[in-house]
Amino acid sequence: MYLPKRRSNRLSALLITLALVGSSTACGSNNEQSLTIYSGRSEKLVGPIFESFSTATGITLNVKYGSSNDMALALATEKDKTPADIFLSRSPGPTGYLDDLGLLAELNDDVLKEVDSGTKPANGHWVGFAGRARVLVYNIDEVVKEDLPNSVFELAKPKYKDLVAIPGSNSSFQDWFTVFRLRNGDNTATDWLNSMVANGARFYPKNRAIVEAVSRGEVHFGLVNHYYNHQESEKNGDAQRSENHTFTSGDDGGLMIMATASILKSSDDKDLANRFLSFLLSDIQQRYLTDTVFEYPLAIGVAPADRLPQQPIDTVGAVDIDNMAAEFTRTMEIIEASGILDQ
Amino acid sequence: MTTTPKTTPSARRVARYQTGTGRPPWQLSGSAVFIAVLFALPGGYVVWRAITGGSLSLLLEGRALRPLWRTIQLAVLVSVSTAILGTALAWLTVRTDLPLRRLWRVLAPLPLVYPSFIGAAAFHSGLTPGGIVHDLVGQFGFNLELRLHGLTGAWLVLTLFAYPYVYLPVAARLATLPSSLEENARLLGDRPFQVFRRVVLPQTTSSIAAGSLLVFLYTVSDFGAVHLMRFETLTQTIYRNRLFDQTRAFGMAFLLLALALLVVAAERTVARRSAQIEVTGDRSPLNVALGLWRIPAAASCSLIVGLALFAPALSLADWGLFGWLQQRRGLAALRLDWGDLASATWSTVWISSVTAVIAVAVMLPIAYLLARHRSRLGGVVNSVVIAGFAMPGLVVAISLIFWTLHASPFEFLIGSMPVLVFAYIVHFGAQAVRTAQVAVTSVPKRMDDAARLLGANRLRRLITVELPIMAPGLTAGAGLVMLSTMKELPATLLVAPMGFRTLTVEIWDTYEALYLAEMGILALVLVAISAVLTWYLVVRRANHLA
Repeated sequence: MYLPKRRSNRLSALLITLALVGSSTACGSNNEQSLTIYSGRSEKLVGPIFESFSTATGITLNVKYGSSNDMALALATEKDKTPADIFLSRSPGPTGYLDDLGLLAELNDDVLKEVDSGTKPANGHWVGFAGRARVLVYNIDEVVKEDLPNSVFELAKPKYKDLVAIPGSNSSFQDWFTVFRLRNGDNTATDWLNSMVANGARFYPKNRAIVEAVSRGEVHFGLVNHYYNHQESEKNGDAQRSENHTFTSGDDGGLMIMATASILKSSDDKDLANRFLSFLLSDIQQRYLTDTVFEYPLAIGVAPADRLPQQPIDTVGAVDIDNMAAEFTRTMEIIEASGILDQ
Repeated sequence: MTTTPKTTPSARRVARYQTGTGRPPWQLSGSAVFIAVLFALPGGYVVWRAITGGSLSLLLEGRALRPLWRTIQLAVLVSVSTAILGTALAWLTVRTDLPLRRLWRVLAPLPLVYPSFIGAAAFHSGLTPGGIVHDLVGQFGFNLELRLHGLTGAWLVLTLFAYPYVYLPVAARLATLPSSLEENARLLGDRPFQVFRRVVLPQTTSSIAAGSLLVFLYTVSDFGAVHLMRFETLTQTIYRNRLFDQTRAFGMAFLLLALALLVVAAERTVARRSAQIEVTGDRSPLNVALGLWRIPAAASCSLIVGLALFAPALSLADWGLFGWLQQRRGLAALRLDWGDLASATWSTVWISSVTAVIAVAVMLPIAYLLARHRSRLGGVVNSVVIAGFAMPGLVVAISLIFWTLHASPFEFLIGSMPVLVFAYIVHFGAQAVRTAQVAVTSVPKRMDDAARLLGANRLRRLITVELPIMAPGLTAGAGLVMLSTMKELPATLLVAPMGFRTLTVEIWDTYEALYLAEMGILALVLVAISAVLTWYLVVRRANHLA
């Protein structure tokens, strides 16, 4: 049952060769210009942008991918010793957290002037580069249009009992709830969430799971990001039985959550990093983001793709958040206390 | 078969080293302490952050105790059910005339190949409308209303994917147990069930305990299954609060660590109390005739292996095949670069091989200390090493980033392979401890003595006498480490050098982007490679696991 000695030696020799080959391929040459990016957006979405930047400029990009919170946690742990120049985040939360720690640099004016004032903080430490709208996804077979609510507050009515899904532990939902809370006050926000739970709101961990559940009629409504339904429809065609509904303009249910770009204070080539941010906000890349990834372009003068809901939607940046960590901790406490996660 | 001494596993127990022979030499104690210090780095970071961050005051709140209580519930349930399932399967496949026994012996350990995240996702979506199981059943007019979530869902999925941790050591132990004891019991009038309870069970207690311990730690550190099943355990709370409320996250990690150390200590007590009979003689184990029970027994095996191994594979194939067929029909091209797939496969295989080899080498001194010397030090080192298995990958990764950059002369190593391999070893080395210990025990003392008399020094004895005898056992342990490494995601994302992409990273990426077809194909590749390696490294050497 065991290996003869000679064969097992050969096996270990092979393993050692593997190790050497592997490590030699892992080290690249490092003589030309390069930037290091920690990306909280996945390679399938932003990878093509990185590739065209490298092709256009000859600048090498080293990218670490992961969830935005993990990347921010790594940056907060690495502090001024981080190799990263740029941080791309799914939402302003992790970026604001790093800004509160004093780890972010002010961006160059030519980058900041690419976007509206609602898409950047007053201190100019980050810009939004793509937006995701919070919408209500609904099942087109089960729901008639007249029953669609105008405001997110209506979802707590008996009419919607046991029919609405909420992604309580999802970071986009928490971003939204934080802004919702800051605009309406803790009491109103807490009351709304508690009455949603009392009204039988169902908990799903992910937006995508909700869109799937709505499509097969498990629930009739769900609070999600707009693009999941576009992606699912693209994949399933007519078999997808769900559509997006946007709340009345100005309603708290329909905020825009921005993906943000920032530059680390410890970066040793901030001009180069700013150059990448300008590229990210250029017309071509913004068109790619809206036409292919179905997100909202945030650079001034670029129109959203036709299939996206066209009405203007408030951005999360419209609310100034002083202490990200404290606000998100408070959000988490309210969500936990509501009992939605305990289902 | 070879030039090495003829030693079947049972014969090797003839004159093994007795524990408690002499104080360990200082080189051995020294290296064991050194290794333990390295393994204590993540735990040390957690304790330090918990104390300096004021987490300890949080631990008295009811809110903090709820996830702890859920974690304990889940871990105890999964440990008990895997202990029963693993032992029953082991007994059926090793000690009875179950039909197709050889096939079951190959298949039973294989559910180990699923990362819990992928397994749970496959399971979950297979059962829901649109999923393959649901729709197949629907063809026959049944409307499957089963929705897996919460404690039940997490328990079921983890039981199915973790039982091999019990099955493997118990099957190995049963295979080496001589028939004489059972024959005597039968002659003295015990019925088969009594034989099992009075003879077989006491002899396998320590294997069951060791396997269940790994299951317990696997469960408390699991993130994938509990996340998908929406069951809020400690790892979930850590994950949700990891950025914005680190006080709470480290408080929960502290609880997790304390729980792990407690359970490791408990297992040692159980294992020490169950005195195993030294096996003598070299006869093949007794086969119990199942009689009428053959059919139900075979049916149960099919059910379990079907659920744990084939059902998730079916879901993955369903996703992958659907995408592939669409591409063939020119509907939607698969967004999968075969070159990327090949390089990710290669990266996965080599990094996990390197990790496995180094992990076993690191475990050897500890195994020597535990197997040949009875000392308090051995117990402490063992606990520290095994507790590493209970730390979530995220915590291991962040703590190593911290130590590398801020408290060591190795700052230049950040983002390099050595840190990644180190993270894997700290996280998974525990799985090789027991096999290495068994391997060390299997070296007959008289051979070592003979070599010593002939003037061979320590190193030469190790290379020429002991390593060849221990090789199969060590390989089996290396196989377990390798499998876990192949399935690891959070630490890989955070610690790996930039641009280094393993299969799990590719799978995560496609999952994030909602490319289910691509994810199905990637996951099948990972599962297939793991299955071949499990068979080659672990199953064929299964007898060396206990």
